[in-house]
Amino acid sequence: MPNAIVATELSKTYDVKVRDPGIKGALGALVHPRYRQVRAVDNVSFEIERGEAVAFLGPNGAGKTTTLKMLTGLLFPSSGRAHAAGFDPWTGGNAFRQRIAFVLGNKQQLLWDLPPEETFRLNRAIYGVPNAEYVKRRAELVELLGLGNLIDKPARQLSLGERMKCELAAALLHRPEVLFLDEPTLGLDLEAQQTIRSFLGEYRTRHGATILLTSHYMADVTALTSRVLIINRGRLLYNGELSELVARIAPIKRIELVLSVPVPRSVLEAYGTVAHYAPPRATLEVPREFATAASTRLLSELDVADLSIQDPPIEEVIRIAFGEGDAASIQEVPEESSEEASALVRTDARRAPQ
Amino acid sequence: MSVEVARGRFAIFRDQYAELMRSAFLVDLQYRASIAIWLIWGITEPIISLGIWWSIAATGAVEGYTREAFARYFFGVALVNQATLSWDAWNIDRWIREGEMNYRLTRPIAPIHEAVADNIAYKGPTAAIILTAWIIAAAFWPAVRVPFEPGRWTLALIAIVLAAAIRFLNGYATGLLAFWTTRATALVELQFGISLFLSGRIAPLSLLPPQVVEVAQYLWFPYVVSFPVEILTGDVATFEQYARGFAGQLVWLAIWMSLYLIVWKRGRRHYGAVGG
Repeated sequence: MPNAIVATELSKTYDVKVRDPGIKGALGALVHPRYRQVRAVDNVSFEIERGEAVAFLGPNGAGKTTTLKMLTGLLFPSSGRAHAAGFDPWTGGNAFRQRIAFVLGNKQQLLWDLPPEETFRLNRAIYGVPNAEYVKRRAELVELLGLGNLIDKPARQLSLGERMKCELAAALLHRPEVLFLDEPTLGLDLEAQQTIRSFLGEYRTRHGATILLTSHYMADVTALTSRVLIINRGRLLYNGELSELVARIAPIKRIELVLSVPVPRSVLEAYGTVAHYAPPRATLEVPREFATAASTRLLSELDVADLSIQDPPIEEVIRIAFGEGDAASIQEVPEESSEEASALVRTDARRAPQ
Repeated sequence: MSVEVARGRFAIFRDQYAELMRSAFLVDLQYRASIAIWLIWGITEPIISLGIWWSIAATGAVEGYTREAFARYFFGVALVNQATLSWDAWNIDRWIREGEMNYRLTRPIAPIHEAVADNIAYKGPTAAIILTAWIIAAAFWPAVRVPFEPGRWTLALIAIVLAAAIRFLNGYATGLLAFWTTRATALVELQFGISLFLSGRIAPLSLLPPQVVEVAQYLWFPYVVSFPVEILTGDVATFEQYARGFAGQLVWLAIWMSLYLIVWKRGRRHYGAVGG
């Protein structure tokens, strides 16, 4: 299957003005401006197949949005190459822009003072969607996102969740092949998040679209994607299946117990590490390979009312991957060196313009 | 490119402009009170200038300008200024600083077209209001009547369109300096201050000191207000005056268009795509 997105050794370096504090520093910067080079994205390479949905994860300032902005042609890279939807983003021009959508969760393109319907009309013309096709697509988006009673209210009167739904509809009217979504559920309530997740999944299934998504909500990641890219300090640290990452970085399983007859904590410690103890409930952490055996023993030796074996929460896995775990354990990208690995354990993420 | 493809592209482009102008007009309607205030503010300046020159000319013509000539001149200034003013630098500065440029750059139409459509949607109706006010005033006040010469009015219209294009590109290209500096709008304000004198908004250029007129000749300012106004009032009359004025307009249009293209191309490469 052909790739929808290819990034090859993509890098972006910014010159950031350095200024000492105080009036002296300000005056000094006027006379002798000094610049420091910040590498926001450093030699990032990955490929995404057509129709695939991939999550791009990393702490704030890691380089996610900068990479997305390069892939959408907004930013020119300092070095490296990229292809998206069959085009070079920086020379693809309008033919490229016709095939992509870039949705920024914290920025809106809806006309603030007018109903979303007006933005839809405008985008129909801007993307040259034929009228009959527009009517069909608009109806589909209104139905999938439940926009029926929203599109004739001025955008400024809509709630954040309602606005985001309309933003997505406006961004997808031209039926893009590749969707770049930067925090599409940022700040939304659970119901709105859920609507947007189901919608994106449905859009992808119906139209075979490719999705590259950044999000701080793990529910977005687990519901929509199977592969994750982890970036920190501009470097790609992991590129692979989410389940594999969980297995590599957190080689434990959690056994959630509800006991019919509570037992002392010391009894449970014989089966694994007690992560949580609040009788009759308890959570044990055991090495993955022993999870089944430990469960069998627990069921036969104690009065257990309920037992379930789970992976550790994905939030925790990602947090470990970002900076608190054993970096070497998630080495997946072949060309990474020990320098990148050490980046994992540093938490002072560089703040670069994004 | 085949003829059909070219036709198709033109139809899409026309449709894009129609919708951009429509939405800009609908947004303007939401801000009608603000627009009324800006309109009043816009005509206050020529009215004050007229008041001053009206008093000065009480005892007789000033350098050939009678009270009536001043009245015609400043009615012309009110109309031309409204049709050619430029606020785009402030918009672009905001787009760039607050990250609103980002989605505009991912659409298959250059952001300048949105600004052009916005200008047409705003200036068309507001200039029409001033023109209507002028026509009504002329019905009661013969001093502000200009001779009925459709040919001259057509040439004035062309000069106004060219002047609007020069001022627009001047403001837009200067605004694009926000790709590099946070002081782009200050540069526009500086030009605005200079243009008060050198474009003929405070006084007809012929009343300014000769040295100032000499300097103005080498800049675009006289071509964006003074020249179209003087066509309307009849002060531009000879072929040579027309030729010099239109040539000046075309040269400055080409210069600002080139500067826009250079700044846009370089600015895009320099863009940090701030915000989100």
